[in-house]
Amino acid sequence: MNSKTMLYIGKRILLAVFTVWVVITVTFFVMHAVPGGPFVGEKATTPAVQAAMEAKYGLDKPLMEQYGTYLKDIVTKFDFGPSLKQRGRQVIDIISDGMKTSLKLGLIAAVLSAIVGIVLGAVAALRRNKLIDRVIMVITTAFVSMPSFIMGSLLLALFAIKLKILPANGATPAGLILPIVTLALYPMAYITRLTRSSMLDVLGQDYIRTARAKGVSGGKIIFGHAMKNSLIPVLTYFGPMLAYIVTGSLVVEQIFAVPGIGRQFVSSITNRDYPMIMGTTIILAALIVIMNLVTDILYKVVDPRITLE
Amino acid sequence: MKIKKIVAVVLALVLAVGVLAACGNKNNDGNGKSDAADMKSISVCLASEPDTIDPALNSAVDGATLLAHLFSGLAKWSQDADGNLIIVPDAAEELVEGVENEDGTVTYTYTLRDGLKWSDGKDVTADDFVFAWNRAASTELAADYGYMFEIVDGYEEIWEMDDDENYVNPDAKLNAKAVDAKTIEVTIENAVNYWNELLAFPVYFPVREDVVSNEAWATDPASYVCNGMYTMKSWDHNSVITLEKNPDHPDADEVTMDTIKFYLSDDANNQLSNFKNGEWALIDDVPTNEIASLKSEYPDEFFNVGQIGTYYVCWNINEEILPADSGLTGEAAEKAKAEIRNAVSLLLDRNYIIDAIAQGGQLPASSFVAMGLTDADNTEFYKNAGSSDEFDGYFDTSADALESNFNSAMETLKKYYDYDEATKKFTNFPSLVYLYNTSEAHKAIGEYIQSALAGVGIDMKMENQEWNTFLNTRKKGDYSIARNGWLADYNDPICFLDMWVTASGNNDIQYGKGDHANLKMYDLDLTPFGYDVKVEDGTWAETYDVLISTIKGCTDKDARYKMMHIAEDMLMETGCITPIYYYTDLYMLDSSVEGFFSNPLGYKYFMYCTYKAG
Repeated sequence: MNSKTMLYIGKRILLAVFTVWVVITVTFFVMHAVPGGPFVGEKATTPAVQAAMEAKYGLDKPLMEQYGTYLKDIVTKFDFGPSLKQRGRQVIDIISDGMKTSLKLGLIAAVLSAIVGIVLGAVAALRRNKLIDRVIMVITTAFVSMPSFIMGSLLLALFAIKLKILPANGATPAGLILPIVTLALYPMAYITRLTRSSMLDVLGQDYIRTARAKGVSGGKIIFGHAMKNSLIPVLTYFGPMLAYIVTGSLVVEQIFAVPGIGRQFVSSITNRDYPMIMGTTIILAALIVIMNLVTDILYKVVDPRITLE
Repeated sequence: MKIKKIVAVVLALVLAVGVLAACGNKNNDGNGKSDAADMKSISVCLASEPDTIDPALNSAVDGATLLAHLFSGLAKWSQDADGNLIIVPDAAEELVEGVENEDGTVTYTYTLRDGLKWSDGKDVTADDFVFAWNRAASTELAADYGYMFEIVDGYEEIWEMDDDENYVNPDAKLNAKAVDAKTIEVTIENAVNYWNELLAFPVYFPVREDVVSNEAWATDPASYVCNGMYTMKSWDHNSVITLEKNPDHPDADEVTMDTIKFYLSDDANNQLSNFKNGEWALIDDVPTNEIASLKSEYPDEFFNVGQIGTYYVCWNINEEILPADSGLTGEAAEKAKAEIRNAVSLLLDRNYIIDAIAQGGQLPASSFVAMGLTDADNTEFYKNAGSSDEFDGYFDTSADALESNFNSAMETLKKYYDYDEATKKFTNFPSLVYLYNTSEAHKAIGEYIQSALAGVGIDMKMENQEWNTFLNTRKKGDYSIARNGWLADYNDPICFLDMWVTASGNNDIQYGKGDHANLKMYDLDLTPFGYDVKVEDGTWAETYDVLISTIKGCTDKDARYKMMHIAEDMLMETGCITPIYYYTDLYMLDSSVEGFFSNPLGYKYFMYCTYKAG
């Protein structure tokens, strides 16, 4: 890696830190501007109890001071504070619990979708306009256009309720199969289509024709020349997709009762659990920023002609 | 060809995963138990991850259910031979009668049973109870349900503040002490008939000082030391909590279910999937739009039982609803508004709301104090409410009365508004806004009210807000009409009445606030009960607030209940509360399960469950 690339990466990291800081700041103030509070319930506590709780968690201090304390704790101690709703638990523990499940789910789904997607895409491209191509295209069109809550509900109705071969909740390993499949189907279909069109594009290039003319074997053309070059658009999609998929999908987690981070994120907002909102937002934002950065660097690996600046 | 091989390998892998998954789950026979050897295990789902299962901090029904299995307080809920719910001694040898002191306070002396142990083997002592109570009532903990100790002598001193909002008595404690290791003496301000019920309430459960000194003690099975029929075996956060029978509990012989798995999901559709799939034997939430079909599809497994609570619509008392040219001001205007609000309430067909919209077997409400709360003579409080002998409560909710209700409502409204005989509609009723929190069920009820009012020319718009924002808006009184609901914490009407004093945090109607604060129009006469209180044309604070504090200090049971009826009369007279229905608790229970029961507060008990043979 040359110094230019290093400089670029350095710049990008600085930009990433800046982005996360902006996210923290905006979230912090918007969150406090929204009406309601963490200690509001259908049954109101007395003003004295309310005040005692706010004092306990420092919510009685001026907003700027809370903001300062929060930033300081994050930077110096990586301390996200205690959850206001799940009493006695630290935000970082709740997030890491949720992330473990979401990461496992997301990574398996991403790898599955990439492998199946690329293979199916390549098959479709090589058998262009044949029956198998048509079948793959019809199926992937269906998967791409079907929202995950419908897909999830269908799978659930079939495998969990009708056939009763898979559980309907994500508390056991077997229970993770349906959510993984649901998560994987959309990106898989999308990658199939991307690979197909990009492969067709590459196969039409002069250098492929040259290779064929030279008598290079079909397999070598595909895996040695065509595949690598046709993966660039896939990679562009895969990076951010991975970030979104591992940060948890609320819909899928809700349908299958998966203990992931997506549910935590949404419930923290309805609960006005301020430290939890901040913690999940920061982690999710950081992940997305990092994945984008990694994707950009990977471009360079796949295609050395691309210059990063 | 290579591609073919790859495709083959991938397909084989996919198949293998599917087959493995199917195998991994084959011992599922469809009633929440995993296999024949596991007849002593039950899987259920009440709600999502509990906010806390610290007995002092919990304020949720699902948390209370867990706590009822994990802890033994002085008393507990149980079922007698006929299936009636009763409060019986648990950690206490017996639930003794109190001894009245000269100043009207009442002292109880409880003896702990032998053999009570904490799950780490140490003895349960009287000190643990006294410590737990003081902790739960303390300003440092600021527990939601700390006010449940309001009745205990000493509570007021703990929370007393000076003008600078500092606590006057930082070292104050409840009047409860451990006479010796097994004897607890506690003094309450006046005799109340829900005292035993309070003892069965989780916030009164014991905890040990050295255990709770670790602030995170209640989040991890390793540090979760309890004294009940069960111990916590594991807690996969947001996924499942597993309880295991405590063989050392004195009542362990009665416990038939060895393992209870509380799955954590708040999604009604997901719960239903797991019930249909056979994974979960009980689910506590069902999708509203499925209720009708579930009732017919699962007649033996769909349950609705009474729950002490009222679903109602509240009016902001300061909202202007008179026509612009009415010419009425001050007390006269408020009297007219009260009459109008009560008339609008009569326009609603509560039976239609229940049968066609809510569908949960609820009962039409004609009072604010809910069904299930008892009067001084143990009859239903709501049946004695209001002044009519012909029906229960403040108006007749029967289908037959619909027309006469409507006619009398129209008659009242015609006094104040212009009525167009041709269209049969009022022409100058100011437009109303109905505030509700985002939910299909609340929306549907709001839409019904909207259409019922539109039928007589009253225009009502609908506004929905996200839950937390909604609570905030309603509490501040930034609304004209709002959906509301209230569930009792214990069997005493006071928990429906004290929320309407001026300073209450639950005074959504804004009684005694804003313009209403200055209206001198309420009468109160407590001389028949021996109190030197007689107010004519007083403000809300001078009448209602005084009435509630008198009730709270009253030791004469009959007088106390009579005064509570007066309080409800005052509330209903204002018309600001439009009762819709009394709540029911809906749940689905697998038909193979026996021995299950739940209490009117919605706590569910699984320890005595068994599976039917076969």
